[in-house]
Amino acid sequence: MSERVIAGPPEGRNWTAEILTPLLFAVAIFAAWEGAVWLFKIPLYIVPPPSDIFSQFVRKFPRIWDYTLVTGSETLAGFAVAILIGVPLALVVAFSSFLRRTFYPLAVTLEMVPKIVFAPIFVTWFGFGFLPKILIVFLVCFFPILLNGILAFTSLSVELARFCASTGAGPLKTFFKVRLPAALPQLFVGLKGAAVNATVGATISEWIGGDAGLGYYIQIAAGDLFMDLAFAIIIMLATLGLLLFWLVVLAERLLIPWHVSQRLPSQRL
Amino acid sequence: MSVPVSIHAVTKIYRTKDGAVPALGPIDLEIASGRFVSLVGPSGCGKSTLLLMIAGLLDPTEGEISVAGHVVDRPQTDIGIVFQGNVLVDWRDALGNVLLQVEMRGLPRRTYEPRARDLLASVGLSGFERRYPHELSGGMQQRTAFCRALIHDPPLILMDEPLGALDAMTREQLRSDLERLWMAGRKTVVFVTHSIEEAVQLSDDVIVISPRPGTLVERIAVELPRPRTLEIRQGPEFQNLVGDIKRIFTSYGVI
Repeated sequence: MSERVIAGPPEGRNWTAEILTPLLFAVAIFAAWEGAVWLFKIPLYIVPPPSDIFSQFVRKFPRIWDYTLVTGSETLAGFAVAILIGVPLALVVAFSSFLRRTFYPLAVTLEMVPKIVFAPIFVTWFGFGFLPKILIVFLVCFFPILLNGILAFTSLSVELARFCASTGAGPLKTFFKVRLPAALPQLFVGLKGAAVNATVGATISEWIGGDAGLGYYIQIAAGDLFMDLAFAIIIMLATLGLLLFWLVVLAERLLIPWHVSQRLPSQRL
Repeated sequence: MSVPVSIHAVTKIYRTKDGAVPALGPIDLEIASGRFVSLVGPSGCGKSTLLLMIAGLLDPTEGEISVAGHVVDRPQTDIGIVFQGNVLVDWRDALGNVLLQVEMRGLPRRTYEPRARDLLASVGLSGFERRYPHELSGGMQQRTAFCRALIHDPPLILMDEPLGALDAMTREQLRSDLERLWMAGRKTVVFVTHSIEEAVQLSDDVIVISPRPGTLVERIAVELPRPRTLEIRQGPEFQNLVGDIKRIFTSYGVI
């Protein structure tokens, strides 16, 4: 435990360092890319220059947008179902020694299976529609949420648990006043991991058996050597993934502003 | 109000895969109401185990403990408890952490808030009520933990090496704070420590416990005036008591 107290006023966000520098860096990368394609005369069907990618993005935007809605809703739905089932299940497993002995090892084993192998099976069972995609997204999101959730709900310090017992508070009060807030940081580790997986699951499942969505579209684009379109779709997918991740980060900021992960670097001890 | 604690023929045996490990006892001990009693012994002698059994958080293997004449057979709630660390919650400020005790007990927060502020002020934390644990030094965090153990005015306070994680200078300050707090309320205190000086400075009785399995070796009454100032602590009586206890541990080969 540190003996220091924060000295001086905490620094605010430094816009030059935190926003401008990374932005300039990204611009520099794209400029170098553009220059390299032009300089080395790389064929467009191998690596297209960023300018082509952006113009293709604009030209094909209506279709990209339609497919973004498809992939986006699969991602959101699967992610939401994974939270709705994963978090309560984690809670039950955490507080049942029977389930910790039986269900937990099974879940850890299943976590090791690459979930995407279920995609062809789901296509056989449920066809090419919405449901098999949601199931795959659910599967890739479920395990990080469940396993981190179990860890979250079992990691209360012994001392704090003993303090709670000494107050005579009932299990519900102990849960809402201490156990749940104490579990939130680790719970968010799982949610962030799941958010990263979610778009991957949606894209690949469309790829394996789909007739709509960005994963389906990029397969066509790359197959026909429309590399500029393929990269434009990648940009949209990156945006979609970032949006979901930021949504989780926003929720985290609102719910656990007190946690060490939410402090500015200058405030960390 | 304060209460007596009575420990009768208590033993604790831990069952591990390598067989039974006797951790403590048999031990008999009477703690009179309103006394500050320290349990001093080497690491692993079972002093913390005994404290947890008094709190009802651990069952004795044999024997019986009673607090205020009632046998301890479940977690005690009429107590205040302080550990070495890990007890403040990160999502509440200092005041909120003290009031957590009140809320967990279903007591009215508003009634207790002025008292919480007074307690924090009495340990030099006025102006820090709205600071979160990560904005407080280790000493300030432990002071906050003291306040939380006292806010509901319990007749018995149990402390498990509460100063153990602090640096030497902060420790000295907190010893004085603790003595002052105790003198103001005169509750029964059971205080676990491995620091002999700390035990002698704070206690009415020092209970010397042998290495594992811990048994009561000697009960030493400290009849020095309070508060035990630097002058008293440097005086011959204080130093003789410390020396006596050290000699006991030397005879066990501990120091």
